[in-house]
Amino acid sequence: MSDLNTFEQFFYYFSENGSYVFEQFITHFLISIYGVLLAAIVGIPLGILISKYSKLAGFIITIANIIQTIPALALLAILMLGMGLGKSTVIMTVFLYSLLPIIKNTYTGINNINKDLIDSGKGMGMTRLQVLYMIELPLSLSVIIAGIRIALVVAIGITAIGAFIGAGGLGDIIIRGTNATDGTAIILAGAIPTAFMAIITDVLLSFIERKLDPVKRHKKATTPTVQSLTE
Amino acid sequence: MLMKRKRLIMIILIMALLCLSACSLTDSGDDNAVKIASVTTSESKIMANMLKLMIEHDTDEKVEMINNLGSSVVLHQAMINGDANISSTRYTGTDLTGALKEEPIKDPKKAMDIVQKAFQERYNQTFFDSYGFANTYAFMVTREMAEKHNLKKVSDLKAIAKDLQAGVDNSWINRVGDGYKDFVETYGFDFKDVYPMQIGLVYDAVEAGKMDVILGYTTDGRIASYDLVVLEDDRQFFPPYDASTLAVNELLEAKPEVKVAIEKLIGKISTEQMQKLNYEADNNLVEPAIVAEKFLEEHNYFEAEEGEEKNE
Repeated sequence: MSDLNTFEQFFYYFSENGSYVFEQFITHFLISIYGVLLAAIVGIPLGILISKYSKLAGFIITIANIIQTIPALALLAILMLGMGLGKSTVIMTVFLYSLLPIIKNTYTGINNINKDLIDSGKGMGMTRLQVLYMIELPLSLSVIIAGIRIALVVAIGITAIGAFIGAGGLGDIIIRGTNATDGTAIILAGAIPTAFMAIITDVLLSFIERKLDPVKRHKKATTPTVQSLTE
Repeated sequence: MLMKRKRLIMIILIMALLCLSACSLTDSGDDNAVKIASVTTSESKIMANMLKLMIEHDTDEKVEMINNLGSSVVLHQAMINGDANISSTRYTGTDLTGALKEEPIKDPKKAMDIVQKAFQERYNQTFFDSYGFANTYAFMVTREMAEKHNLKKVSDLKAIAKDLQAGVDNSWINRVGDGYKDFVETYGFDFKDVYPMQIGLVYDAVEAGKMDVILGYTTDGRIASYDLVVLEDDRQFFPPYDASTLAVNELLEAKPEVKVAIEKLIGKISTEQMQKLNYEADNNLVEPAIVAEKFLEEHNYFEAEEGEEKNE
């Protein structure tokens, strides 16, 4: 093997272990998605809540901030003491890290909506729930997605570290590379798909984010003349 | 109209997320779900994958893997805490002085008997008979060094030991009974410097000339690839390290078919065979999972042999 250069080794590695890398890729992706999904289920309602009761906002955001300052490896180790080894501990870690961007973005998204719109909604006789579903959520959706996007990219990085407590995923391949004789190619075989996954999810979610931004979409749909002028 | 579209997009998004969450990560909530733990060595990973494939081949169980644990002590803890219920590779010598805190025993058979008994009685765990290979510690030097100083046995190091830097496994150095302190007592010399390192790095260190002598494992594939000379343990210092599976009895009682699958691997892999498998993983860039699969496919998951045994 030593007569091949790193680049050739890298491709040789993929030809030998392609199915394995793919399997780990899926595991890695699912762990990240689960953590972020759980955080979204908890974080979005919490963000809405604190935008309504601003007294709570400082408290909850401070807690989320504190969690964010703990180094990932330390948080993994702390949770491992209570939850043991394996995937669920990593999912929990990802969940905790994803809370801040999701809560904060939901809170900011809803708070930044033009108050006139909400007032006119109320003036039309909408209930609070209707205001939330018909005005606030649609208008802040792109900001919330932006939060999920940040959370997911961070989550993919954290999941790589999760291999240290036996969760599997692409981090497993990286650790093996550090133990192997000439592991550069193996390290790359773990690291490059990880980076690739982060970039793809980022691009995909930024696309969705743009699609859901009512201001940008509205401009495109209704004022084509303005666009052609600026061109 | 616009609002409807937004709602539609939201519904699609939520559906997509729910679909994803349906792809379960093998968390069935079964108390006796098979969970195989392994340490960072290629050998441990290869055996873990072999066990996984054997169990999945012979039974309907879905196996979860817990990789990259730090040492056999961590493995032991994971088994006791219930994070795992099978350890892929446990060595008689390591567990005798590590988990069981007994005196080291030099006779391989006696060591195996005592370890098997102690795990049954104290932890309610079954220490299976050996896979057939022993991964003993051994001091190694490069071919060049061995020829220069005419080194064949560990005792030959005595004359030059005070100028030598030694790289050793970090779990060995403080081990009681067969650790560094006892080594110094038995052989009557110590090295100039002893560096505890992660075991995967020692072979590279001696190859690169950063270390003069290293303490490595006899089944490591890199012995062949770096052309290292294994020095004979002429004073019988290192106890036997026969490799076996260790499993929690609760699992074996609840799922006897798992036990049958594990037993098929007993005595099937020699030390030379293990060196070859390790070489595949360490030197030829093949993942342990693939190495294990190829080996088992070559041997037809040991099905034919089982048939022969039944005929007897």
